[in-house]
Amino acid sequence: MSLVIGAFTIGAILSLLALGVFVSFRVFEFPDITVDGSITLGAAVAATLLVAQVHPVPATAIACAAGAVAGAATGVIHTRFGINKLLSGILVMTALYSVNLHVMGRSNVPLLSERTLATLAESAGTAVFGADRLNLAGWEVSTRDVSVLVVALLAVTLAAALLFVFFRTHLGTTMQAAGDNAQMISALGVNVKTMIVLGLALSNAMVALAGALLAQYQGFADVQMGIGMVVWGLASVIIGEALVGTRQLGFLITGAVMGSVLFRLLVAIALRGGLNPNDLKLITAVFVFVALVLPAIVSRVAAPRRGQPSGARA
Amino acid sequence: MLDLRQIEKTFNAGTANELRALQGIDLSVDEGSFVVIVGTNGSGKSTLLNAIAGTFPVDAGTIRIDGVDVTAWPEHRRASLVGRVFQNPFSGTAPSMTIAENLVLATRRGRGRGLGWALTGRMRRELRERVRWLNMSLEDRLDDPIGSLSGGQRQALTLLMASWVKPKLLLLDEHTAALDPKSADQVIRLSQEIVSRDRLTTLAVTHSMTQVTHLGDRVVMMHRGRVIHDFRDAEKRRLRVDDLLARFEEVRRAEQIDETAAELLRQMYA
Repeated sequence: MSLVIGAFTIGAILSLLALGVFVSFRVFEFPDITVDGSITLGAAVAATLLVAQVHPVPATAIACAAGAVAGAATGVIHTRFGINKLLSGILVMTALYSVNLHVMGRSNVPLLSERTLATLAESAGTAVFGADRLNLAGWEVSTRDVSVLVVALLAVTLAAALLFVFFRTHLGTTMQAAGDNAQMISALGVNVKTMIVLGLALSNAMVALAGALLAQYQGFADVQMGIGMVVWGLASVIIGEALVGTRQLGFLITGAVMGSVLFRLLVAIALRGGLNPNDLKLITAVFVFVALVLPAIVSRVAAPRRGQPSGARA
Repeated sequence: MLDLRQIEKTFNAGTANELRALQGIDLSVDEGSFVVIVGTNGSGKSTLLNAIAGTFPVDAGTIRIDGVDVTAWPEHRRASLVGRVFQNPFSGTAPSMTIAENLVLATRRGRGRGLGWALTGRMRRELRERVRWLNMSLEDRLDDPIGSLSGGQRQALTLLMASWVKPKLLLLDEHTAALDPKSADQVIRLSQEIVSRDRLTTLAVTHSMTQVTHLGDRVVMMHRGRVIHDFRDAEKRRLRVDDLLARFEEVRRAEQIDETAAELLRQMYA
């Protein structure tokens, strides 16, 4: 049971990553690899501050801001210097590897006895439930696991709601339009470059938040923890889109959260069933590849003789 | 309202594909005037509109709108003075966003965009009111994605958006060329109504010879990046399609003579 709760918690935390990837990849069609570096950055900044006895809430907030700066850097490199989107992300991701090592001072920072959001949640949970063990629908589970899950879900719900509200404001709709039709929004007086920089900052702030929470949940920050995370986020977004099956923003945001949790559950089950953890990234990559090419293949098979191959788009 | 002095623009300068798109354009447009720009393919009509809107910087010359020198302004900054409707109906609207969201974006043209709620109840009522005026029964579809509409409906909405905040200058770039004849008529009628209602200073590029004679109070004829004729006032009112065609034929013949003469010279001196 604690395995399932653990999977839910990590799924919830990583859904912040999924929301970040949703903003860059779906709103701006910007395949932003900065994510691999900024999730580690979030973890590194938060862990280092926590070790220095900073309160978990400002530590997490500062981690978030660091992620925003990283995203803005990618945005500036792309928009002001005209460097290809992928390459801009790769440059910042590579640079962040060194930055993260500098922030942490070594490759791994353990959070053994520090006060973190997880320990805060645990003490709050113990105060509410009054016991170390809880009976959850017949299963005995630890109060810590449940409290942390509750806090993670609350954080994600809040972040998703804020994101939804943001996309209903003037600035938010403008950002969406900048991703949807740059020519049009430019003709309406908006600097598209600024919007891309802001969007990537927002996206990577959420990613760094995921990193900060993940470090506090698992009890350490590691310089390697970001590898392949952008693909992970993408997988969650794609699963989410399949789950909700609509293009409406509110559903897409909910879908990304659900997709992340579901994906993490599937992974936990697969690992439990004997999947070699070393194969995890390979399988994730293959999954995203299949999910991206499948729609084109399906429509080609469904309409085999109609002159033009329907997979090709104008 | 608009003042162009010696505008020059060359694309791909110094290469085999060099194109001298604008070659010293001088043009002054009075406030409230409706200028129709005609010309052959590649004469620089659309390039001129894009130069005014700031899609690219010009190589030489100055552009003044409402007395302000905007030559060095980027496109999005000029947008505070200029409203535009593009030839491609897909260019002027964000397809995956709803009609209401698209319109509300236009209400902020040239103004800041903060964290205020975009679609308030009052805003919705105003949108509905103005959309009803189009007479296309779109007022009940405000929450449909704009991508689901026809080209004509999208152009009508783009027109509404371009003029929502009254622009100093309205640029219509062959905005009916991609539409079926019926929708084109409808959009032209709406354009005329909006322009005359708000007394907008307007520049419209067109291919349609019938539009030329019916629209506007001035016709500027372009050829190879230059203004070759400017029909104003009485001359514009008398203007018939045949007059325009005759003028184009005249230019074509003059050029042919030039080319034959050039060929003769080449043969003599080669």
